[in-house]
Amino acid sequence: MTHDVIVMMNDANRAASILIVDDDQELGEMLTDFLAPDHLELTACLSGEDGLKALEAGNYELLILDIMLPGISGLEVLKRLRQKSDIPVIMLTARGDDIDRIIGLEFGADDYLAKPFNPRELAARIKAILRRASTGSRRSGRLELGAITLDPRTHRVTVDDKPLRLTGTEFEILRCLLETAGEVVSKDQLNERALGRRLLPFDRSIDTHISNLRGKLEQAGTVNASIQNQRGIGYMLIPGQ
Amino acid sequence: MRSLLVRIFLSFWLIIAITIGFAALGGYYYSEQIRQAIENYEVSDTVIAASTALDTKGRPGLESWLKDLPSKYPVTVFIIDQNGIDLLRRHVPPRIARILRRFAQHHLSGSGHRREPRNLRPARPLTQLVGPNEEVYTLFVVPKRSAYGEWLNEQTKPLMLLFALLVSASVSYALARAITRPVHKFRQATVAIAEGHLGTRVADSMGKRRDEIGLLARDFDSMADKLQRASEQQVELTRNISHELRSPLARLRVALELARRQAGDLPEFTRIETEAERLDNLIGQILSYSRLEARDQEAPAPINLAELIQDVVENVRFECRSDGIEDVTVQFDPTEEPIIQGFAGALGSAIENVLRNAVHYSPSGGAVTVQLRQSSNQATITVEDQGSGIPDDELENIFEPFYRTRGAVAAAATHGTGLGLAIAKRAVRKNSGTIQADLTSHGGLRIEIRLPI
Repeated sequence: MTHDVIVMMNDANRAASILIVDDDQELGEMLTDFLAPDHLELTACLSGEDGLKALEAGNYELLILDIMLPGISGLEVLKRLRQKSDIPVIMLTARGDDIDRIIGLEFGADDYLAKPFNPRELAARIKAILRRASTGSRRSGRLELGAITLDPRTHRVTVDDKPLRLTGTEFEILRCLLETAGEVVSKDQLNERALGRRLLPFDRSIDTHISNLRGKLEQAGTVNASIQNQRGIGYMLIPGQ
Repeated sequence: MRSLLVRIFLSFWLIIAITIGFAALGGYYYSEQIRQAIENYEVSDTVIAASTALDTKGRPGLESWLKDLPSKYPVTVFIIDQNGIDLLRRHVPPRIARILRRFAQHHLSGSGHRREPRNLRPARPLTQLVGPNEEVYTLFVVPKRSAYGEWLNEQTKPLMLLFALLVSASVSYALARAITRPVHKFRQATVAIAEGHLGTRVADSMGKRRDEIGLLARDFDSMADKLQRASEQQVELTRNISHELRSPLARLRVALELARRQAGDLPEFTRIETEAERLDNLIGQILSYSRLEARDQEAPAPINLAELIQDVVENVRFECRSDGIEDVTVQFDPTEEPIIQGFAGALGSAIENVLRNAVHYSPSGGAVTVQLRQSSNQATITVEDQGSGIPDDELENIFEPFYRTRGAVAAAATHGTGLGLAIAKRAVRKNSGTIQADLTSHGGLRIEIRLPI
């Protein structure tokens, strides 16, 4: 336990390296200045190709990805990235581009911000996701329900002893649901736990994440547990039969 | 007489009927003239000449006279002997043979009918000559084109007339259809284009017509092409403008935060932030307004209206709380759950904009009531507020982009973008519905959205 706390304090002071892929060079430069005091070290790439190369070469903890990119689109970058990496991704979409947002979340983005965004909001979201990643290992104890097993320490989920690959956000949602299996968890609570922020009006990110998670669990063959939607209240994981 | 089809059909038919009438009348007069001419011949020089020929040279004289008769005569003269044979051995037309048979008793035999009184001399419609040996020759004068007579036979006349009418009717109808069918197609295409289906074309459905209608179809299509291109360009341009405007806005917001960090939180910074947000909202609204007009590949899907509205209501309540409008309540208690086919995203934004508008114009402590009703063929959503409404004559205009009612001018600076209800209208139209505004009995504004089920 003490060991964990020390690691966390170290995390808070260590600069986290973040990659931003956005064709707006000036914006990248200004954001680098803005995020520096928060110990967030930003590296900017102007195209999707460069971004993918940088991700392979360097060791980044989080990716900020603009969806409107010249050349290969942000969605394509995300798709290729998710084939080999679970790095947290915050995508930048144009406000009103619901389709981009939904597809982005389906492709495995953790969170999104509509451009133009309030940079303080961006900083808050980055920190929330980084905090989630670092505190994740703090809570120990394997969680099990039917064929699903979740180990917070190794960050692994198995279904019938076969590993199931989840994004960071999906992992957190599943953990939250497993901890309270059989009880309804409000969307607000899930949002706070998985995304580290309050629910916003017209914000459907959590619903999209849940539907992704549901799809992955079904594909893995979990017939003995399902995520149910309690309209207007939240979600509940119920054991089957 | 409203239909072009009926008008063209009746006109053609009338013209054809009149033509047939005149032709029949002309034919009648012509045959009448010929009949008179024939009658004249009976007492004319021709008969006298024939009688002279018979008197002087007997049967051979009559024969040679008949042979030498000028061929330009409009009539043919038959002279039939007692045996019913023509002097020139020509074929006796059946009509003449019939007449001969009918009058044979009276005139050819010379003896009267048994019942007839002795002193009665029956009318003799036939011209006859008596030769030197008391033999009787009967003269027939028939029009040269005797077929004409057959043609206007009393029995076949009504049938012929009916046949002519039927043929002319079907020809007129076919002609009228040929003209009005393409017109009908043009009309359908025009309506479709007006409804926003800019991909509608007509030339393909016209076959390979090279006439004026075919040309019109091609011109129509090139006009539709231009319309479609212009519309696509406009949508594309609006999108580009929106995206290009957002990039500097994004930089502006980062620059603002950097300035705040250096100079401290001045009230002017908050103002700049508010204005930047407002500009961003406006761009977002313009973008969604222009996008609603664009044809997308999305297919209509079933929508549970009660769920959709419930969702929007919750989100608007949420938004009210975060905007500090705590004391306006939004009421929605659905009793029915109509399912319609449509575009949930567009419909949601329509309801959202109408609801947001109602909340913003509600007095402090007011309530906004949302109702959902279902009839056999449509679902009706009404949103009523307790605001001060708007003047009657402006009800039509509030769905125009950037329209400000007279009363709203003062409030304009603080609420909305002026596009909310215009977006609602487009979104409802995209779902094949209608939207209209009127006033409640308390003077508040009521917006009614009707959607086909």
